Amino acid sequence: MQMMFASKGRTLHAVIVYFSMLFAMFFVFICAPNEKIQGIVQKIFYFHVSSAITMFFAFFIVFVASIMYLWKRSDWWDAVAFSAAEIGVVFCTLVLITGPIWGRPIWGTWWSWDPTLTLTLVLWLIYVAYLMLRIDIHDPKRARFAAVLGIIGFVDVLLIRWSVEKWRTLHPKPVLIQEGGTTGLTSTMLWIFMFCLGAFLLLFFYLLRERTSITQSRHALEVLRQEIDDLLAR
Amino acid sequence: MSSSKIFIQQVFALLAKDLKTEWRTREIFTSMFVFTVLVVVVFNFAIGADTELIRQVASGVVWVALLFATVLGLQRAGHMESEEDSLQGVLLALHDRSALFVAKMVAQMLYLLGVVVCTLPLCSIWFRIDFTACIGAFGIVFVLGILGLSIVGTLFSIMVLHTRAHEVMLPILFLPVSIPLTIAAVYATAQLIAGKGLKDIADYLALLSVFDIIFFMLSIMVFDYIVEG
Amino acid sequence: MSTEMMVHLEGVMKRFGAMTALRGIDLQIKRGHCLGIFGPNGAGKTTLLRILATLIRPSAGTIYIAGRDAVREAEKVRPLLGVLSHRTFLYGHLTACENLRFYGRMFGVKKLTERITEVLQVVGLEANSYQLVRTYSRGMQQRLAIARTILHRPALLLLDEPYTGLDQHATGILQELLLQLRSESCTIIMSTHDLHRGLNLCDEIAIQCRGKIVYSSTSLGVDMQGLEELYNTYVE
Repeated sequence: MQMMFASKGRTLHAVIVYFSMLFAMFFVFICAPNEKIQGIVQKIFYFHVSSAITMFFAFFIVFVASIMYLWKRSDWWDAVAFSAAEIGVVFCTLVLITGPIWGRPIWGTWWSWDPTLTLTLVLWLIYVAYLMLRIDIHDPKRARFAAVLGIIGFVDVLLIRWSVEKWRTLHPKPVLIQEGGTTGLTSTMLWIFMFCLGAFLLLFFYLLRERTSITQSRHALEVLRQEIDDLLAR
Repeated sequence: MSSSKIFIQQVFALLAKDLKTEWRTREIFTSMFVFTVLVVVVFNFAIGADTELIRQVASGVVWVALLFATVLGLQRAGHMESEEDSLQGVLLALHDRSALFVAKMVAQMLYLLGVVVCTLPLCSIWFRIDFTACIGAFGIVFVLGILGLSIVGTLFSIMVLHTRAHEVMLPILFLPVSIPLTIAAVYATAQLIAGKGLKDIADYLALLSVFDIIFFMLSIMVFDYIVEG
Repeated sequence: MSTEMMVHLEGVMKRFGAMTALRGIDLQIKRGHCLGIFGPNGAGKTTLLRILATLIRPSAGTIYIAGRDAVREAEKVRPLLGVLSHRTFLYGHLTACENLRFYGRMFGVKKLTERITEVLQVVGLEANSYQLVRTYSRGMQQRLAIARTILHRPALLLLDEPYTGLDQHATGILQELLLQLRSESCTIIMSTHDLHRGLNLCDEIAIQCRGKIVYSSTSLGVDMQGLEELYNTYVE
């Protein structure tokens, strides 16, 4: 598994990511038809929902990597979990920023406690706490605690979603549109959305790969530094 | 002696020790109770004199107070445990380490129950709510809610014991993760205050139960990984 | 696995993040023997003892205590261990009796009341057994910690610098106790700075430095001067 992340193919991966993001933007802004009611603002939806799905995927990887770390105790899984969480928080922040930008002209307010957006906010809090717990990377105790949190956080997602849905029914819905979707996607839009999502996922994997290898290198550097200190002290 | 007998014996030994210590010092319970009352009173002032409005937010106020009281109680309990590193001594004697989790969780539950029993009469007077109308239903909601708070709280409190900024980390971890519990407990209580019955809050009760069960099982599974040195 | 070997370590390593505390420890101790581990601060003695106590897991290597894998079957190994360290593991708001009763119940000690009286007599604390531990002097607390350690009649004693910070009275009690336990075939592993007392008590000695055992042998024929020379040679 570790060999898969080796430098071979990294440049190729980077090039593919670059071009796919470029094409995605081209498709979204030039090719995608303007939505009837919402107009051009609706185009944020492509990036907003892609970010959201990537974010969930990232946190799922944290979940899996955390379990693998507790099982195998391999530093590599720990590095993957940490990197995925970091990148996940970035995409999470993107969702929280693009959400209101989309919402303001549509709902009339910046924030409407939409179930998915609220869920995203809570996840942001949980995974930022995860990162705070990890200030000291590669301290095995910290790594274990974070792994536990990575598992708990993901399991909590369903519970949070359910409870926020219930809670939401007590609040007024926004006037114009049902959230989370539009008044319907044409097949062109759907196709463009899938492409955009694909580009985002490719980007995520590239970032994950890079971040994991940086984390590993940093750890190796620390170990070497310690050894040198030890030798010098003699 | 079979495993489960040892488990139960150890849980009781730990629980007895914790409760005996608490009985001597009364630190944890007193600070939790006083804090809860303070939060309720301050909220009262913050919200204003409109009795109807206060009735509506009473449930939220009580549960927020309980959330913070839980954090406070756990921090005090953790502090006392780390004084002579007695946690290590306990770990040496434990057959199944989750016995420690169960004992601490039950202790926390008992403190919270005590706080609720002492605070509700006061809330009854201040908020003009008759809790005795359907005390059974209230009882169920509070027990399920407190159980959830104790489970998640105990898990995180033991986790943060050895981190650097442990006093800050506990609420930062505990509060977001327990949001489903908070929502369900607050709205179930609010519905009951508004005169609804058990049938109407069935889905909140379902959420509370599911939350409690899932987190209890999760905690037992991961506890070993947390206490390992 | 021969049951004559109480403790068997092979290739034990421990890393804490970037720092390596133990770099491959191999050790064998027969039942009923006493091993003294000498070494400077930072040698990893405490880490080694904590691993033996199943408080932390090794990063690599195998550990067998009384024929059992101490990592996989830790809960079966723990009742055999008695651990004495810097911290007393005692509860200040409980009395001595209550502390011992708690640990006795945890270990499932039979005929607990008599056993508690017995150990309190050994450490000379029967008169104060109903006082709260936080009112005890440091010396008394340490004596009670010793009582706690032997309460459940462990087969293997792990002592981390037991003489450090003990007062005269407590040191005497501990020394007598250890000699007696040795004669009862209790296995003892002790890390210490006190070369004199260590030599007195131990059948085998080992010198640990920078996470490795750099010297080990029986203590027969080694006197104080010899030990000091060895220490100075092997500890750079």
